[in-house]
Amino acid sequence: MEIEQKLKHYRLSRSEYDQIVQQLGRPPEGVEWALYSALWSEHCSYKSSRIHLKKIFNKSSRVVAGFGENAGVIDLGLGERVAFKIESHNHPSFIEPYEGAATGVGGILRDIFTMGARPIALANYLCFGEVKAPRMTSLLDGVVRGIGGYGNCVGVPTITGQTEFHTSYNKNILVNALAVGYFAPEEPVLRARAEGVGNLVVYVGAKTGKDGVHGASMASESFDEKNEKKKPTIQKGDPFYEKLLIESCIEVMKKKLVVAIQDMGAAGLTSSSFEMAAQGKVGFCLNLDKIPLRDSSMTPEEILLSESQERMLMVVRPENLIKLKAVFAHWGLDAEAIGEVTAGPEVELFWHGENICKIDPRFLVDEAPRYDKPYTKWQDKNRVTSFKPYEYGIKAKSQKLLELLRDPKFVSRNWIYDQYDQRVGAKTVFDCTESVGAQRLPSGKILGLVLGGRPYVMRFDAYVGAIDCIAYPALELAAKGFLPLAATDCLNFGSPDNPEIMSEFVATIEGMSAQCEALHVPIISGNVSFYNETLGENITSTPATGLVGLKDHFEATPRSYFQNKNDEIYLLRLPLLKFQGMFAEVEKLSQEGSGYLDVKKVASFADLTRHLALVKGVSASRVVGKIGLAYALARMTTAELGVEIDKVINDGVFIENLYEVLFTVNSDSALQFRELFNKLSQNNEIDMKIIGHVREGIFKIKNEIDLPLSEIHSAYNTNWEVLFAGLS
Amino acid sequence: MKIGVRVMPRKEVLDSQGRAVERTLRAHGKNLSHCRVGKYIELEIDEKDRQKALAKATEMCEFALHNPLIETYELEVL
Amino acid sequence: MNKTVGVIRFLGTNCDQDVFSAIKQAGLSPEWVCHQDQFDKSQYMALFLPGGFSHGDYLRCGALAARAPVMKSVVEASRHGTPILGICNGFQILCEANLLPGVLVRNNSLRFRDGWVGLQRVQQSPQFGSDKLIYAKLPIAHGEGRYYIEDDQVKKLFDDEQVWCVYERNPNGSVENIAGVMNENKNVAGLMPHPERAVADFMGGSDGLSFFTSLL
Repeated sequence: MEIEQKLKHYRLSRSEYDQIVQQLGRPPEGVEWALYSALWSEHCSYKSSRIHLKKIFNKSSRVVAGFGENAGVIDLGLGERVAFKIESHNHPSFIEPYEGAATGVGGILRDIFTMGARPIALANYLCFGEVKAPRMTSLLDGVVRGIGGYGNCVGVPTITGQTEFHTSYNKNILVNALAVGYFAPEEPVLRARAEGVGNLVVYVGAKTGKDGVHGASMASESFDEKNEKKKPTIQKGDPFYEKLLIESCIEVMKKKLVVAIQDMGAAGLTSSSFEMAAQGKVGFCLNLDKIPLRDSSMTPEEILLSESQERMLMVVRPENLIKLKAVFAHWGLDAEAIGEVTAGPEVELFWHGENICKIDPRFLVDEAPRYDKPYTKWQDKNRVTSFKPYEYGIKAKSQKLLELLRDPKFVSRNWIYDQYDQRVGAKTVFDCTESVGAQRLPSGKILGLVLGGRPYVMRFDAYVGAIDCIAYPALELAAKGFLPLAATDCLNFGSPDNPEIMSEFVATIEGMSAQCEALHVPIISGNVSFYNETLGENITSTPATGLVGLKDHFEATPRSYFQNKNDEIYLLRLPLLKFQGMFAEVEKLSQEGSGYLDVKKVASFADLTRHLALVKGVSASRVVGKIGLAYALARMTTAELGVEIDKVINDGVFIENLYEVLFTVNSDSALQFRELFNKLSQNNEIDMKIIGHVREGIFKIKNEIDLPLSEIHSAYNTNWEVLFAGLS
Repeated sequence: MKIGVRVMPRKEVLDSQGRAVERTLRAHGKNLSHCRVGKYIELEIDEKDRQKALAKATEMCEFALHNPLIETYELEVL
Repeated sequence: MNKTVGVIRFLGTNCDQDVFSAIKQAGLSPEWVCHQDQFDKSQYMALFLPGGFSHGDYLRCGALAARAPVMKSVVEASRHGTPILGICNGFQILCEANLLPGVLVRNNSLRFRDGWVGLQRVQQSPQFGSDKLIYAKLPIAHGEGRYYIEDDQVKKLFDDEQVWCVYERNPNGSVENIAGVMNENKNVAGLMPHPERAVADFMGGSDGLSFFTSLL
């Protein structure tokens, strides 16, 4: 093959080729091409994002493991720790939604238990196109079934989720999966760093097939019509096998039979082996012919690049091999020694005794290219000094609210959540029906989990959206009394070669990081997914985040729904930025907003919110979100309990003010609640007032909305079946 | 010898999958009167004698491959 | 009094820890039993088959686990009169092993279904659930929970007092809303909802606890 053809086949640029020749002192040969292709792909090397990712706020005394490990780990006190991470599986899910979503869940679970943690919770961040777009209902159905099919079977509950719809995802959906794992006191945190010359390299799990060969480099390019032909290489997951792998891996780790461990994820054996060697500054000698194969016709190159699921690579002391094999045999799995750790520095690959490759792993990992792609400094977008809210009468506004509640963008997602096991593990305190997921840990403390990232705020202004993707979920945690502890992020963007996208990317990192620092919430793990574009159309730049929070006990945690009639309803406000983002989109009005977010003010507002949420007698809370107050109140209703708001809402009910929090308080505790606010609120920009009461059977907002509760309830809760009628 | 096992839901048992497939096909204007969904299993049995191979396959079907409450099976030599 | 309760783990069982904890919480002594183990018929005061996806639900739910070596001992214990409760996938396994009548097939909706259900007791089990518990709120989580038995046998099941409990609102298309059944001797029972997921207030209810404490 001509060089140009080879470069195209292996998706390497001419300048990268020159860099390879310089490293090796000669042109690459044989399987080296495949190794460079995989490890220098955007997906594995983060070559366009790394220089910016370094700027992310990641410091806290609680951080046990951060970026560079399979997942971040954070200390909860009393010896308890959790590992967590969010990761994208967008491209595979668009090609084959069931398997794509299922293997996304499988992959993120392996990232967690390779750290030594037992997975205890899952969450999913999903973005779909318009319901009417081609394939969209079946994509949604497939993704939901795939997540359920995998998560339910391995026995990890899904406790929270977020689902968005927008035209920009019509040809490129987003499927981001988050997993949390738990370490009991004394349980070790494992690393992917190989060490100990003479130690064995052991392959564990499913046999290797041709699944997903070149998957990592595929995720590093845009979709085009031809990608349809790549179907035969999709990976297929087996959650039953994964369950056995979880149990057996946790057992060998607890028995301290493992020196280092790495999941064979993107780029399979190549990335796991070279990264383990590079991290440990050692060499490997691997016999590729010893790898258990599902398809005996496979070539060394295919073996190196296979993305078959449910496989692990471990470094094990020779004297522990028999004990290790016995544990895996008990679970019906094979463990095969395929090589050993050498002084290095090279990794040497053998095929039936013949040395087919000898290369320094640092060339491929540490010295991968780094690009500073062009971008411009962020300028505020869509700002005006003042704008007119939606002005219609009560009747028109009431009908508008019902119409919005029936819209897929706003309707209840319980149809999705009912297909996930939300309680296996018997730790779930708050399931997906609450605005925050929560689990009770063995110590009795409660761990809160919430997703963030609101695409319409990104479309309004990426810097605001970036602050918001930390601030909004942090407030949601605070509104339940959780102290936000740490975050993970999945940055879903279009092509980094487009300077506009790159500018949004850089602005996102800066905005997120600023808010994280103000809240003392480090980002401890994450993933970048570039090239989310199809035929030149980019998705909305979408940072998806996951935040964990902690509180001492479960007692008196506010719910997300009205609890008692006649409870007083309070609105707590820090109105920094006023806009009608999502309402403007739905109504095809121009995007307008006024004001600026201030990360420090937001952080102290979150702290105040948390203290108020801890008052006994606070029965429910919700952060006001998309399309403003009326929607937030509608989501708090139950079949019996509605509202009567008798204070006039100044800007109308469809304007969004960043930020506002609703509390319902039992009248016996109201005095204490107000006194605490007066005591803690030093900032006169923050105000709080009683706006109405929880009432039976009605939904009334003075001068705005007047509806029977039953209409609100049926619009919000039953329209999914109508929208997606074709599915059942 | 290779034996094929066709496992089908018993006629008197509601076949929810078959019903769903039937509905979808109809909704797309495909003309059919009934649809049932079963499963097909291929067994490779180390046995050259046809009768003996069938007997072994029958034993496997009775042991685990079908549930007589809801399913019937048929064998074929491939 | 022998307080040792066996909790059987098949490959793919995933509610094992939850059942183990609930038994402990009830003041009994749970002990793991592996799918390959054999045990004496009088070794345990009771046996639990927890839920999950044994063998990935492949072939038919519960079918492969019902043929595991440990089931020989389970059958012997059932003849001996040992109380045995199968929950969710455990119920499916007991049906596949012919220790309980009927079979569990895919939900009417063809979708997995999670949520809370109201459960009415039809017939008291001599071992599981206190006599006061005539109504319970418990979680379900299953894709194959539709109880099926031939028409002519449904009546017999009710007549023989083998129908243990029924759903208040049928979530899956089960015959006669059946959620739990017992064998003729009433020592073996199966239940689709998960009592072990409702044993404390933080879980959303504690109606499930008496399914374990009643053994004392």
